[in-house]
Amino acid sequence: MWLGTVLASLGLFLGLFIGLKVPIIIPEGYAPYLGLAVLAALDSVFGGIRAGMEDHFDNKVFLSGFFSNTLLAAGLAYIGERLGVPLSTAAVVAFGVRLFQNLAIIRRHLLKK
Amino acid sequence: MKRTMYISLLFTGCLLGIMLAFQFRTNTGYVQQERPDVLTQELKQLEQDYQVLLAEATDLEKSLKQIEQGGNQTYEVLQNELQKVRYAAGLEPVTGTGVVVVMDNMSTTKRTDYDPSLFSITYEDILRLVNELRAAGASAISINGERLVSTSEIRNAGKFIDVNLTRLTTPYEIKAVGDPKKLASSLQITGGLVDTLKEWSILVTVTTKEEVTVPAYTTPLDFDYAKPLKEGKDQ
Repeated sequence: MWLGTVLASLGLFLGLFIGLKVPIIIPEGYAPYLGLAVLAALDSVFGGIRAGMEDHFDNKVFLSGFFSNTLLAAGLAYIGERLGVPLSTAAVVAFGVRLFQNLAIIRRHLLKK
Repeated sequence: MKRTMYISLLFTGCLLGIMLAFQFRTNTGYVQQERPDVLTQELKQLEQDYQVLLAEATDLEKSLKQIEQGGNQTYEVLQNELQKVRYAAGLEPVTGTGVVVVMDNMSTTKRTDYDPSLFSITYEDILRLVNELRAAGASAISINGERLVSTSEIRNAGKFIDVNLTRLTTPYEIKAVGDPKKLASSLQITGGLVDTLKEWSILVTVTTKEEVTVPAYTTPLDFDYAKPLKEGKDQ
């Protein structure tokens, strides 16, 4: 599973490089949605790594989870803004908790080896 | 299955990276989140700074103007000094009251009884005249349009006379700028130069004029051999 983490971080750096080089700037109004989407994507990736460590990684589940979580987080934040209810907080809490859980489990797996 | 996992991990990682980079780039300013009172305080501070800087700018402008004025004054003084020096050196044409002296040999038909070259004008006659004019306070002298400067010579060159390395022929017209009365009287005093020259059968006419124009010295000056002595150094 080492290769998986290495590849994921490699992809991360590649993406960062591309993102910093591409001359597109997203309007500032979309920043909060993108932030939530990033959080969701981060959670998905960590979830994927964890699943890989536990040997029940399913590619379909992973990819669909990645995209649906991302879009759902951004969409939820948007709807919350329209409704005047801070739904983005819910997303932040939910994804944040899962993120920490995933990280903790990954840590244990790494330590067990 | 492992391979697809790696590929999707790489892919999602890449996507995550791009999103993160965009987020970093858009989220540079936190202006929206800041409280109005913080902003007003900042605004006040900036306004104060602006006033202080404005005062400083006017101060600096004032001193700049003073410096510019000082520079202009020194420039003028230097310009005046330069003009004076140019006058003294004979590099500027000058005009003013003065005298015009015309010297010519008596026509050879009138002096058939002796060798005409014996009593023709020599460089010494002109030198004497120039000396006399200078003694009378002439400030600029020219001979046939050749301005006399500190390096000018007056000498014989065969039958002719050289001034500023230019060959001059009769009649010699000597223009001098200065006090016309003083100049004329110094020449025409009884027993003076004009009398002497007349005795030597040279035709001399001295006319005082309200306006005499003396041309400038036009030959380029070079001081190949003369170098300024460094201050504080003797020999």
